[in-house]
Amino acid sequence: MPKTASQPQLLAVGTELPPLKKTISQRQIDCYSGVRPNSIHTDVEWAKKKGFPAPLVQALMSTAYVSQMMTSWLGEGFVRGGKVSASFIKPVIVGETLTARAVVTSHDDVGGRPRVTVECWCENQQGVKTLVGSASGFADHLRK
Amino acid sequence: MIEFKEINYEVVTVGEEFMSDDFLIKPEDVETFAFAVEDHDPWYFEGSDDAPASSPFGGKITHPVLMGNQALFMRHSKYIVPAGLHAKMQYEFVEPLRVGMRVRTRGKLIDKYEKRGRHYMVTEFATRDEETGTVLVRGQFTQMLFPKSGVHEHAKNR
Repeated sequence: MPKTASQPQLLAVGTELPPLKKTISQRQIDCYSGVRPNSIHTDVEWAKKKGFPAPLVQALMSTAYVSQMMTSWLGEGFVRGGKVSASFIKPVIVGETLTARAVVTSHDDVGGRPRVTVECWCENQQGVKTLVGSASGFADHLRK
Repeated sequence: MIEFKEINYEVVTVGEEFMSDDFLIKPEDVETFAFAVEDHDPWYFEGSDDAPASSPFGGKITHPVLMGNQALFMRHSKYIVPAGLHAKMQYEFVEPLRVGMRVRTRGKLIDKYEKRGRHYMVTEFATRDEETGTVLVRGQFTQMLFPKSGVHEHAKNR
């Protein structure tokens, strides 16, 4: 049963969304980025040549985690009208575990529809932020 | 016939346009993406035995960010890109992507700049349904260009 904007506890500023945890394997990177030589994502020797200890997780993968978090929560209001703005501030190495987190920061009325904005970030297993940014969507058809 | 040049800060010009190849979104693309990012939302698989119909879009859709790489790799259709780091990404999801759509992304370099000795390029993009012309996703992204030395400060900072 879809929940509606009449449930303010889900929308209150400061509300934290359920975090998502991902341990990223080389196989997943391969599927995401496509395997090719001379790639910092899928070629171990090339990644080392470029100064990294192992292949890097493609930064864009982290936006998929933010998207998953928002789609799970806002549903239709994110798929149609959602926004993400992300800065990738630290490389992520294969095998690391990322946790995607988000906290509600504001609500706005956009043409009579409630747009909710979150501050979002991903952090690695040491708690170091690797992505920082914001995301938003319409909160009139919440999934949960 | 395209003459591919190695990308660098000097060779890219503000205002230059990029275009991806067209791409037919196939069921296996969604399956592969779902595995890669561990996101098996039933909205992307409904109609299968494990996922009864549930999306409010009149059928299954795909991950909103499915075509992110199509945008990101547009420059590969003009340049040899040995490596680069992605610095920023902005998405706006306008209409849902669906299996069976043939999509293409077009973009334009809107800025390039140097910051703390590093070179960046900023590209805006729109991904459209080739059949209807409908904008599905739009946004912009900032990419750092690797220096010719091959070893990047980002790596040294770790």
